[in-house]
Amino acid sequence: MSPQFVDFDADGTLDMVAGIFDGSPHLARGTDKGHAPPEQILDRDGARIVMNAMWDFDSKPPKWVEQTRCDPEGGMLQRGHITSAWAFDWDADGDLDLLLGDHDHGQVMLRRNEGKAGAPAFATRNEYVRVGEQPLVVKGTVTTLRTIDWDGDGLLDLLVGSMGDAYGGGEGGGVYVCRNAGAKGAPRFQPPTVLIEPSARGHKDAVRPDAGLYMDAADLDGDSDLDLVVGGYSTWTPEPPALDDMQKARVAELQKQIAGLDEESQRYFEALREATKGLDDEAYTKAYAEFQKGEAGTARSARQKRQQTLREELEPLVPGMKRQSFTWYYENLAK
Amino acid sequence: MKTAYLTAAALLLVPALVAQDPARFAAPVRLEAGAKKLGAKSLGEGRLYPSPVLHDVNGDGLLDVVVGDLRGRITFALREKGTGAPHFAAEQKWMGADGKELDFHNW
Repeated sequence: MSPQFVDFDADGTLDMVAGIFDGSPHLARGTDKGHAPPEQILDRDGARIVMNAMWDFDSKPPKWVEQTRCDPEGGMLQRGHITSAWAFDWDADGDLDLLLGDHDHGQVMLRRNEGKAGAPAFATRNEYVRVGEQPLVVKGTVTTLRTIDWDGDGLLDLLVGSMGDAYGGGEGGGVYVCRNAGAKGAPRFQPPTVLIEPSARGHKDAVRPDAGLYMDAADLDGDSDLDLVVGGYSTWTPEPPALDDMQKARVAELQKQIAGLDEESQRYFEALREATKGLDDEAYTKAYAEFQKGEAGTARSARQKRQQTLREELEPLVPGMKRQSFTWYYENLAK
Repeated sequence: MKTAYLTAAALLLVPALVAQDPARFAAPVRLEAGAKKLGAKSLGEGRLYPSPVLHDVNGDGLLDVVVGDLRGRITFALREKGTGAPHFAAEQKWMGADGKELDFHNW
């Protein structure tokens, strides 16, 4: 969730606009006492602004909903879930439209404001932001969006961060710029150019953000070029120590025991799936709770504790992958 | 907390900058917040997907860092005066108009 400071309601006070994990853009209105609690930004008919997938937190229990009412003309390329939003006067008509980023498949959408400054009336459907004739789809899916004049030509370009493989060791996230080769009120974005390469991983220490790259840009060191600050997860695997024969034997034994417990865990989940097969949400919740209270649940707790103990002993001998979030400064060397 | 109204607009009107193609950056440096003597903390460390935003929170003409996260919480760290790589004071929670921590209730 990356808040944008912008006077969304045209009252002279900066508000915060942010896309959040429920799948809709939100607004925290600025007041003379601070920001009001966030509210959803709705379309002209009072409906939620979404792509074709969202979390319905009004439902008990909350549930994942897929629908097509906001699909662009011609339909969606893939499932889309908004988690980022950026207010921007796309068509230079004096009001703020919304750019929307997709956490699921990297699509970028425009929701046009057909109202006026201070009285928004958002269209009921999304439009694809395009590169040439093709919808813009960001490799690694979208984390956050910015419009900023990156190349100093007087037009706002589009900065995009990407998630990459968030938990595994696959290709990580990066930062891209789509230069605007259009005109004021008629953006025409070029294909993304890499600003920060997606991480290839394999580090032995935390040396960069590897996944979930959320960026912002400004001239932070006063040398008249745009630097980046980037939040994200670093992943690294420390160099393992040299082991003697006794330690190697112990490592083999620990790994064998952990593998055995993993197999037991697999059997637990298979039994849980069987016990809850075909149940609706309410029945599932009840059956899940009962399963947890039973013998299988008790054994699972004991197994988890044992696994934890074994992993703690193994860790100094064979360090596992580390994952921690930080915020980084990238100094632009252009000047 | 004084809100600066001009900085965001100023950022959009930043004078023409050098065209950067391809962009080159120095090796990334972890940002810290808080007094070094007291053990500065890595900015955003341990947050779920920290999302930094540069914004002049207190209207002193320096861009501070505001950090959102997946849970929907917001903190900020004021930039300290100085040249070169930026350094920031300790992170603080972003409080709302109701006196409670601003919360985007991400789930």
